[in-house]
Amino acid sequence: MRVLFFAQLKDVTGCDSVEIAPASPLDAEQLWAALLKEFPKLAAHRPSVRLAKNCEYAAPDVVFAANDEVALIPPVSGG
Amino acid sequence: MKIEIQLTHEPVLEKISPPPSIGAHGAWLEFRGVVRGEEDGQTISALEYEAYPEMAEREIRRIFEWLAAKYPCLAAKVIHRVGVIPVGETAIYVGVASPHRGEAIALLAEFMDRLKQDVPIWKRRAIATDLVGRVTPCAPVEARPASPTLKSLDEAMGGIRSRCLPLPGLRVPLAEAFGRVLRETVCAPEDLPDCDRSTRDGYAILQNDTSENFQVVDTLHAADWKPRRLKTGETVRIATGAPLPGGNMRVVMQENVERTGDRIRILKRENALNLRQRGEDVRAGQTLVPTGERLDAGKLALLATAGCVQPLVSPRLRVVHFTTGDEVVPPDQAPKPGQIRDSNSILIRGLLQHFPCDVVQTHLPEDFERAKTESRKQKAEIENANVILVSGGASVGDKDFARPMLQWLGFEIVFSQVNVRPGRPLIFGVDGSRMAFGLPGNPLSHFVCFHLFVATALAKLVGEEPREFQRCALAAHLEDAPCPRETLWPARRDSPGLHPLRWSSSGDITCLAETNALIRVPANRGSIGAGTEADFLPTNC
Repeated sequence: MRVLFFAQLKDVTGCDSVEIAPASPLDAEQLWAALLKEFPKLAAHRPSVRLAKNCEYAAPDVVFAANDEVALIPPVSGG
Repeated sequence: MKIEIQLTHEPVLEKISPPPSIGAHGAWLEFRGVVRGEEDGQTISALEYEAYPEMAEREIRRIFEWLAAKYPCLAAKVIHRVGVIPVGETAIYVGVASPHRGEAIALLAEFMDRLKQDVPIWKRRAIATDLVGRVTPCAPVEARPASPTLKSLDEAMGGIRSRCLPLPGLRVPLAEAFGRVLRETVCAPEDLPDCDRSTRDGYAILQNDTSENFQVVDTLHAADWKPRRLKTGETVRIATGAPLPGGNMRVVMQENVERTGDRIRILKRENALNLRQRGEDVRAGQTLVPTGERLDAGKLALLATAGCVQPLVSPRLRVVHFTTGDEVVPPDQAPKPGQIRDSNSILIRGLLQHFPCDVVQTHLPEDFERAKTESRKQKAEIENANVILVSGGASVGDKDFARPMLQWLGFEIVFSQVNVRPGRPLIFGVDGSRMAFGLPGNPLSHFVCFHLFVATALAKLVGEEPREFQRCALAAHLEDAPCPRETLWPARRDSPGLHPLRWSSSGDITCLAETNALIRVPANRGSIGAGTEADFLPTNC
């Protein structure tokens, strides 16, 4: 699964995406656990970050499978 | 409901047409969000936006579909610009067509609120203007500790793109505009041709005049402008290119006419009207040359025709190029054992020809203190340069000094290695609006780094889109062992494909004379078979 980072999260992680190879689909909690293990500094941003799956905001009960594109969406500021 | 969405790096056009004939919309409401000159109490010159384009487009569509259930809406158009947007320019454009103004206004207001909550677009950073007018990033893109690490090719090219702002345009006479990038859209001020003009030497008659014999009442040469109303049975002698005396006329070729004194008899009527009709080339108001186009001879001729004699164009770039290395001697000298002739100076000068620029080239001694003294002689040129290039001294040997030199000249090093072959030790530095590159010393590395990185920066500075990789099939086998770095392989591009050239080290120079393309070989790929498609960058500029 590819996880994309945007805006200030790129600065936090030092990259714009990361590949995760989960043995089985992850729920949001498990996904965060995997990300925080690799990028502990993301923890400070977690409360304001929304998860998206395949270009749609993910409901709390969504699970993320190996072929999904996941994105961490920090507060937006377009317009 | 028709929804059109664009996320673009291009400036949003000054004038955007409402959707054509979508029925009975009584209101076409437009909104532009413009970059303000102040952000968080600081004077700025630009904002940089970033988007998650695929999702942003989906979200915008979703919001409109949801709002359309509340407010009747016939069509909508949204353009959000991303990348660096100068103060005063449009960041977002929204146009909404509705039956009545009330619902259009309500819909637009609610759309903007929703966009600011949900659409994945971000203001990435503000770019400040300091007192001397130089542009400096307020908040650097990378808030990470300054340890410039190895960049991938895409990261490096992206980093250069995002840091180079278009330089302000200026108006110059047409004669000085060749090769520059047009910074305004030029439209036709009038129809071209401006009136119906004859394409034959012959006789002009009314289109519906079926007479056989005519009275010649006048003669028109190419420069004559003599409007008159012809009667049935009247004709005027007319030259090729001359304006017809009125509308609804035709020209009969002189070969098909028998003339006696001031009378003619038509022997044969042609189907063709034998004229260029008013506006058949271009109509008043149509775009002749859009902004961002590089002006070549043909486009300049078009501007001249339209009377645009002082177009707004990119400035000439000012480039300072330092060569280094005590082993290098000028090409007119015989190299002693261990020395080589300088080929990089002329290589860089040649590569820069593609961009109108003024180049100052100087050789610096390897001794850092002496090099500083030498470079002080070019103080004014260095301070006023848009781009500084340092050839050689980019790797990590004891004598290498491109990096300390650039730092001494005031540059912040953005990155100092790119994961490519050849050209890995590339250095990229920024100081306000000045850009600097340390180019690895080998000619082939120079060539590759120029086309990948320097040309990208120069294109952004003059305001045109940097060249992109294209795809084409290989005409011959490319034999290579897998390399952990991406490789830019010299190639000759002829029809019908790409021919990889013989190349074994970045010191090779013979292949440069043949190269007009660089094949992008992915990391760890190894050989690529004939007939396989590959990315390549054209270098014949």
